[in-house]
Amino acid sequence: MDAFVLLGSFAFLMLIGVPVAYAMGAAAMLGAWWIDIPLDALMIQIAAGVNKFSLLAIPFFVLAGAIMAEGGMSRRLVAFASVLVGFIRGGLSLVNILASTFFGAISGSSMADTASIGSVLIPEMEKKGYPRDFATAVTVSGSVQAILIPPSHNAVIYSLAAGGSVSIAALFLAGVLPGLLLGLTLACLCLYIARKRNFPAGRRIPLREAIKISIDALWGLMTMVIILGGILSGVFTATESASIAVLWAFFVTMFIYRDYKWSELPKLVHRTVKTLSIVMILIGFAAAFGYVMTLMQIPQQITAAITSVSSNQIVVLMLINVLLLLLGTLMDMAPLILIMTPILMPVILSIGIDPVHFGMIMMVNLGMGLITPPVGAVLFVGSAVAKLPIEQVVKALYPFFGALLLVLVAVTYMPWLSLWLPNLLLK
Amino acid sequence: MKEAFHRFNDKLYLACLWTAGIAIVVMTIIIPWGIFSRYVLGTGSQWPEPIAILMMVLFTFLGAAVAYRAGAHIAVAMLTDRIGTANRRFLSGIVHFVMLVVAIFMLFYGTRLCIGTWGQSIGELPFIPVGLTYTPVPLGGLVTLLFVLENIFFGSQAQRGVVTYDHIASDPTAESGVL
Repeated sequence: MDAFVLLGSFAFLMLIGVPVAYAMGAAAMLGAWWIDIPLDALMIQIAAGVNKFSLLAIPFFVLAGAIMAEGGMSRRLVAFASVLVGFIRGGLSLVNILASTFFGAISGSSMADTASIGSVLIPEMEKKGYPRDFATAVTVSGSVQAILIPPSHNAVIYSLAAGGSVSIAALFLAGVLPGLLLGLTLACLCLYIARKRNFPAGRRIPLREAIKISIDALWGLMTMVIILGGILSGVFTATESASIAVLWAFFVTMFIYRDYKWSELPKLVHRTVKTLSIVMILIGFAAAFGYVMTLMQIPQQITAAITSVSSNQIVVLMLINVLLLLLGTLMDMAPLILIMTPILMPVILSIGIDPVHFGMIMMVNLGMGLITPPVGAVLFVGSAVAKLPIEQVVKALYPFFGALLLVLVAVTYMPWLSLWLPNLLLK
Repeated sequence: MKEAFHRFNDKLYLACLWTAGIAIVVMTIIIPWGIFSRYVLGTGSQWPEPIAILMMVLFTFLGAAVAYRAGAHIAVAMLTDRIGTANRRFLSGIVHFVMLVVAIFMLFYGTRLCIGTWGQSIGELPFIPVGLTYTPVPLGGLVTLLFVLENIFFGSQAQRGVVTYDHIASDPTAESGVL
C-alpha cells in the first residue's frame, strides 16, 4: 500500500501533466504524510540534495557543452570528421557518426548533438543524394554516443543517484569503450546501407587543408584531454576539471574561433539557467522522493520481487533491460536515472553486478529511450531539425534500433567493455 | 490590475533570470580561482567551495521558478495531447493545484528550515549562517507561487516577449534546452 501511495500518485500526477520534478515533490509530500514523516524532514532532504560539491560538475559540464555547441564547434568537428572518413563510400553518413563521437567528447548532451550536427549535416547529406529520413536517422542514433563518451553529465547524475559510492572518474572511463563500440556498430551499418543503396563517396581533402582543419578542431577536442587528464592525474577533482573545461570552452570560442558574438553571451547564459535549473530542481525533489521511498523500504521489496523470479544474472539483467527500455520510451533520462538507480541498486548488488558496469547498461537503455516514440526528446529534436514527420524518421530508424540493441546486449553481457579501462587506469 | 500584475511578474522574472545567470558565472569563476590559489599561490583558499555551492542553490531555485513561467520544465504531454478540451481543462486545474501546493510547501517549510538553521554556521566560513544558504528555497517558492497564480488567473505566459527573448530563432531545442 505504501508503494502504491508514493509511486501511484507520482505516476498519476506525471501523466496528467504536472512537471516531473514537482510531481516527485508532491508525491513525496503525500508519501511522507501517509507514513507520518514530518514535512520538515522532507525539506531538509530537498535542501541538502542540491547542497553538494560534487553536484557542481553538472552545471559546469552542461555549460561547457553549450558554449562549444553554439560557438561553431560542431561545424569544425564535421569538417575534421570529413578529413578522416569523408572519402569512403557513404562518407557523409560516416562523417555524421564520427562527428557525434567527437561531439560526445566535449559535451554529454545528445540533444545538443542532434540539434547542432543535424542542422549542419542533414541538409548537406540531402544535397549529396542521401534521403532526408536516412540522414536524420543517422544523426539521432549517432548522438546517443554523447551520453556514453566522457564527459557525460548523465554519468554524474548516476554517480549522485547511486549515493556517491560510484566514482565519476570510473564512470567516465567506463563509457569510452561502449561509446566507441556504438559508433563503430553504427558506422558498419551505414557502410552496409551505403553499399546497398549506392550512396556517393566524398572527395579526398588535400593535405594542406586537412592539417588546417585538424588543428582547428583539436582546440575544441582539447576539452576532453583537460577533463580526463585532470581527473586521472589527480590534479583536479571532477568538479574542478569541469570548471576548467568551461573556461577553456569560453577561451576557444571567443578568442580562437571568434564566430560567437559577445552580445549574444547573456542569452546563452539565460538559456543555460533554464536547462540547468530544471535538472537541478529535479535532483532536489528526487532526493526527497528517494528518502520517502527508502523509508517505505520500496527498493528492498522490489529486489525481493525480482530475485524471487530468478537470481540468475543473465535473466535478471534481461528483466531490468526490458524494464528500463520500456520506461525509457515513456520518460526522460535524468528523472529516470534519479528514480530507478536507488530502486535497482540493491537488486544488482545482490546478484553481483558492478555498479559502474550497471551505470553503462542504464546509459545505453535510457539513451535508446531518447530516440524512441512515444516520448523521445532527441527524436523530436531530430525530426524538427529535418522538418520531417516523426513517423517517417522512426521508420528510417528501424535498422538503427537493431544496431543499438546489439550494442545493448554487448554492454550488458560483456562487463569488461565497461570495466577494463577503469580497472586498468584507476587501480 | 491585470497589466500591473503581469508587469510586476515580468520584472520579477528578469530579476531571477539575471540573478541566476550571474550566480552561474560567479560559480564558474571561483572554482578555477580555488585551483589557482592552491597550485600557484600555495594558499589553498577555503571559501570558493561553499560560495560556489551557495551560488548553485541560488540559481537552482530561482531558475526553476523562471523555467516554470517559461514552460520549460520536463513534463509528459502524452495523455493531455490526446483528450478533449473539457477534460484537459479539468486536468490542468489539478496540475495548477498541485503546483500551488508544492510552491506553498517550499515557501513555508523552506522558511522554517532557514529559521531553524540560522544559529549554525558553515565550517569554512564561520560568519555565514547555514540558514542563509537555504534562503533561495523559500524565495524560489514565493516566486513560483506568484507565477502559478498568474497562470491560474490569466493563463500561461510562456509566449511573452520577455520570456522568449533568449530563444534561438527556429531552434527546436530553445524551449527544451540543451539536455
